[in-house]
Amino acid sequence: MKGRYAAAAQPRRLATGSLLAVALFSMVLPAGAGKADRAEFDRLHAEAEQARKKADSIGGQWRDTAKFLKQAKAAADAGELDKAMKLARRAKDEGELGYRQASSQKGNVQIPSYLK
Amino acid sequence: MTGKILAGVLGAACFALAPAMLHADPQSDLEVYQRFFKEKYPDIPFTQFADGAYALNEQMRENWEAIEEFPPYGPFVDSGERLWAAPFANGKGYADCFPDGPAMQHKFPRWDKEQGQVVTLSLALNQCRETHGEKPMKYKGSPLVDLLSYIAYQSRGKKINVVVPKDDPRAMAAYQKGKDFYFTRRGQLNFSCAHCHFKNSGMSLRTDILSTAVGQTTGWPVYRSKWGTAGTLHRRYTGCNKQVRAKPFKRESEQYRNLEYFHTHMSNGLALNGPAARK
Repeated sequence: MKGRYAAAAQPRRLATGSLLAVALFSMVLPAGAGKADRAEFDRLHAEAEQARKKADSIGGQWRDTAKFLKQAKAAADAGELDKAMKLARRAKDEGELGYRQASSQKGNVQIPSYLK
Repeated sequence: MTGKILAGVLGAACFALAPAMLHADPQSDLEVYQRFFKEKYPDIPFTQFADGAYALNEQMRENWEAIEEFPPYGPFVDSGERLWAAPFANGKGYADCFPDGPAMQHKFPRWDKEQGQVVTLSLALNQCRETHGEKPMKYKGSPLVDLLSYIAYQSRGKKINVVVPKDDPRAMAAYQKGKDFYFTRRGQLNFSCAHCHFKNSGMSLRTDILSTAVGQTTGWPVYRSKWGTAGTLHRRYTGCNKQVRAKPFKRESEQYRNLEYFHTHMSNGLALNGPAARK
């Protein structure tokens, strides 16, 4: 970029860059990551377990959710709390998504139009 | 322009997935499903759908026919024959529960009015054992798979004829539950059974070819090279659910028995050809 527009564009690029950096940073490092403590993990693990059970109660549990919870517990016991938190978060997300998926399918199963 | 294209695609997708009349009667379902595959594969004789994916690919079929010359399920059939003939502790045996003999796979799954549930062949064998004071078999591996293999071998050529009785609404409800299961999206991949085995049948999935929904229940138990042994239809259901990253249900659970009821009904008219060999 040249001419009189170059100077005006510079701050905008910087601002956009900063915003992107903040957004990416917040995606990569969720709040609390890097300074997790055991109590925080236990709370998250319990929430994730509850989400898993809720999904399972309507047949919506996903394949790896229970595995992630086990791995999270093992990582926490080994003192790897950041890894444990990441796995527990993943399990919680899966539990919630599995429940939403199964709820949305209940009574609303779609038959493809070519099979009518 | 992009917006118009996107709107068109979304519109078509909505149309394609429009809720259909879910509570159609089983006979209409049967006609629709079988017609779909006859029209999709006009060059394949209907009876050949009983051969699964091997009906769809010539090279795979040749390999499969070579395997069938020395069938890997043979030892299971032999073991099953011995188990069938072995008396229970009370002196009775399977023949006392099933007086028409082992060629009976075509009678299952069936709706049992007294029990108010779908009875599969595996469940019926265990109910027979329990009636005579024997422990039920585990729904995995031997001896159940051996017995099923022998019964399947004896039942070859019998035609599938699953009946959904009209005089018991619970039977229709069980059929409907099985149908709902087949078309329900599940797991992290958000797939239903139908996504792979209707319109996408014949497509390659890595080195495999997706089989047609009609004909999938004719050859069980199946000796799968992947398993290195023979296994039941419910074991395969477990595998399918895991493949779409859903937690599977228990073998012989109500969910899988209802699914088997609907799934086998789809193949009415096809001849049984189990046990079979598959990749």
